[in-house]
Amino acid sequence: MHDETKGGVPFEADEAREAELWASLTDLPREEPGPGLRQGFYHALERAARPPWWHRLSEWLGFRNAAGWLTATACVLVGVASGYLLSAPGGDADRLLALEQNVATLNRSLILDRIENTSASKRLRGVIDAVDVVQADPVVARALLDVASGDRVFAVRSAAIDALAPELANPEVGEQLMAMLEASPSPLVQLALVDLVLRNGSNAQLEHLVELAREGRLHPELNEHVLGSAPDVHGEETI
Amino acid sequence: MQAVSDEQLIEWVARGDASCLGTLFERHHRALYQYCLQLTRHRATSEDLVQDTFMKILKKAGSFRGDGSFKAWLFHIARNEAFNHLRKAKRRKTSTATEDDMRDQLIDSRSAEQAAAGHQDMDIVRRALDSLPEAAREVIWLGRFEFDGYEDLGAALGCTAATARVRMHRAMKQLDKILIGISGDIRHA
Repeated sequence: MHDETKGGVPFEADEAREAELWASLTDLPREEPGPGLRQGFYHALERAARPPWWHRLSEWLGFRNAAGWLTATACVLVGVASGYLLSAPGGDADRLLALEQNVATLNRSLILDRIENTSASKRLRGVIDAVDVVQADPVVARALLDVASGDRVFAVRSAAIDALAPELANPEVGEQLMAMLEASPSPLVQLALVDLVLRNGSNAQLEHLVELAREGRLHPELNEHVLGSAPDVHGEETI
Repeated sequence: MQAVSDEQLIEWVARGDASCLGTLFERHHRALYQYCLQLTRHRATSEDLVQDTFMKILKKAGSFRGDGSFKAWLFHIARNEAFNHLRKAKRRKTSTATEDDMRDQLIDSRSAEQAAAGHQDMDIVRRALDSLPEAAREVIWLGRFEFDGYEDLGAALGCTAATARVRMHRAMKQLDKILIGISGDIRHA
């Protein structure tokens, strides 16, 4: 009996010749597909994933759902209110403040609308826009948390996690991010969160992270990654 | 850091992220093409089958139960697609003769001088493999190149691991027998 297990399934040959033949099969030439296969596949994938024309039209107009209508209504209201405030008597400072508040409200509506869009690229755009306002606007921070935990596209989730970096010190947000770290089934999401905590986490958050790794509650390879960084973590603590 | 598993990617495809199918395609399209080429011996048909298989995966992503590997499931779907195609082709009696030309060219191009040369061995093995029935050829190809366990091989072939092991044993015996025959012919030539 000869057992040849170098690549492939373990094959038990009755004779040496068969074992040699099995081993020699690895040298068989393997033909590469033509470039047209890749091109054809991506065209077919694009066709299959593309929504119907009426859906694209309503999306282009921005009225595909209630959020789109709300945004449009908010734009009109902000315009009317701004016009009213600018024309009404009163101090310039008050009018300017009211105007700034209106612009902030409109900005928030636009960001939230983008974050809830069906298109991943628009959601990503929304997350990037949210970076500038996340610290000042708890509603946007909560929306980013939802995206970080539930968006179906990893790139969007990862961007949301990065966008929440300045809010890691905020107890409410920090707590939820740490809970997400423990609960996320995706090793990539866990990696993004681990890097975020290692970069920006407080001592308590770093200690919690190391504890999770020690107890093996992270993805196996992340446990090693965190524990490998642990001396640095403690080093920072002693300083 | 280990890459995202196939099983995780297909779960995301099932949830609506079709872009993850691109990653699965990049990982598996070459192997799938080579397997389809073993069955059909026709390049264009094999490329169509690979594309059709991935489009089927996009539609059926939600039905992947995860009790076996994604790769075995993928190859099983490709196998069904390929055998459906071969059945239809036989019915139309327009078997993929064109690519048999490719094989003929391969055989014709072998001269007695080449046979005498030492590097001819692989061509002989290739020729012997081509002479095998589809069922034997596919089990050897998948078992040698694509899977490292009989569980997955059996799942891809639509049989149990034990049956896959028996089929592999028989197929290798057949291949050895054909190889002895071809080597004898070349010596006589």
